[in-house]
Amino acid sequence: MTRHHPDTLTLMEYSAGNLSEPHALCIRLHLDQCPHCRSRVDTLDSLGAVMMESQPQVDVSSDMFDSILSRIDSEPDITEKYISAQARRMSPLQKLLGDDLNDLPWKRQLGDVSVLDISEKFPGQSEQVVLQKLAAGGKAPAHTHRGDETTIVLQGAFADQKGVFNQWDFVVLNQEDEHKPVAVGCEDCITLSVLSAPVKLTGTFTRLLNPFIR
Amino acid sequence: MTTLDQKPARAEGRKDPWSQMLEKVGKHQDRQAYHALFEHFGPQIKYYAMANGLASHAEELVQEVFVSIWRRSCLYDWRKAAASTWIFTIARNQRIDMLRKMKRTSAEMPVETEDLWQIPGENEDEPVTSLHRLMSERRVRESLSHLPEEQITVIAKVYMESKSHQMVADELNIPLGTVKSRVRLALNKLKVILQDQNV
Repeated sequence: MTRHHPDTLTLMEYSAGNLSEPHALCIRLHLDQCPHCRSRVDTLDSLGAVMMESQPQVDVSSDMFDSILSRIDSEPDITEKYISAQARRMSPLQKLLGDDLNDLPWKRQLGDVSVLDISEKFPGQSEQVVLQKLAAGGKAPAHTHRGDETTIVLQGAFADQKGVFNQWDFVVLNQEDEHKPVAVGCEDCITLSVLSAPVKLTGTFTRLLNPFIR
Repeated sequence: MTTLDQKPARAEGRKDPWSQMLEKVGKHQDRQAYHALFEHFGPQIKYYAMANGLASHAEELVQEVFVSIWRRSCLYDWRKAAASTWIFTIARNQRIDMLRKMKRTSAEMPVETEDLWQIPGENEDEPVTSLHRLMSERRVRESLSHLPEEQITVIAKVYMESKSHQMVADELNIPLGTVKSRVRLALNKLKVILQDQNV
């Protein structure tokens, strides 16, 4: 099903905990649906464990274990609380965007394109985080990217010069890529993109469409 | 290496001693096993915190990690991850969480750290044991001992000091491409590189 995967170096930065929050979200959403990448990350997590054990070790204070025990004892149902919290846990996407992506307060840009900027959900992060919706069968104007754009498909599918991108596919575009996505299939295509710099439009709609995907 | 009087696991797919102890904590709230884990992993986590620039919070991080281990140990499944891998991911998440909380209040964090970075085996439905997972840590340890020092140095900076590839390049004064190729060579040996990527 999923055919476009994150690069191994990106997965390594994820496993090491070095990605920004929005980038980590894109990876997490992909991993939930891609056993192949999940198992690569498992190996990378093992690499982290082996790196940690091969480093120098630093003595901890002699009374620390006792204070840990007293913390645990002061909260006797600590484990039960954790389990019930886990059971109530929503998927990250649901938590962030609710149950129906189509119900969001989309802003119609031009023609087939709607956008929704959700950067405020990631305070303190420098990237822009944007949802984009391309109506079923619709076309987006040609554009290139000034920085890197990381995208994950949340619903439907789109196609461009590089291929067809289905739900949970992972795409990274950079300055060299000019693309002209078309929504394929009978559903609107919804993507989540993390942008390190604004998009540059290359077609005739430049003036009108700014700020399309920024 | 272990205080347990059980034979160390040798066959593939067997539990290693630390995973056995973690399981005892999860199933029986075994404090002796918990203490053994603390003695073994506490000093590693403290170094991890210090390498990450959290020197003045290093002991706090160790404590948070161990409270978290206790809290969620009942969900630990040795078939899904070796104890050391599981504990590494908890240390990583607590480190990220600590840095996030230093900058913001929780009201400002609609997305929790665990929504972004998963602990292996949690929130996963698949019931099957992945043999790959059981073997991966042993394989990684073995492969790593054959890697050239320059590759290990780069990986250590990424994992232990949370440096991006660009930051590692700047620090070692080598081109970004060299850093990336060292990482790729290493990951290739560790068989993490995707073989069938059809982009």
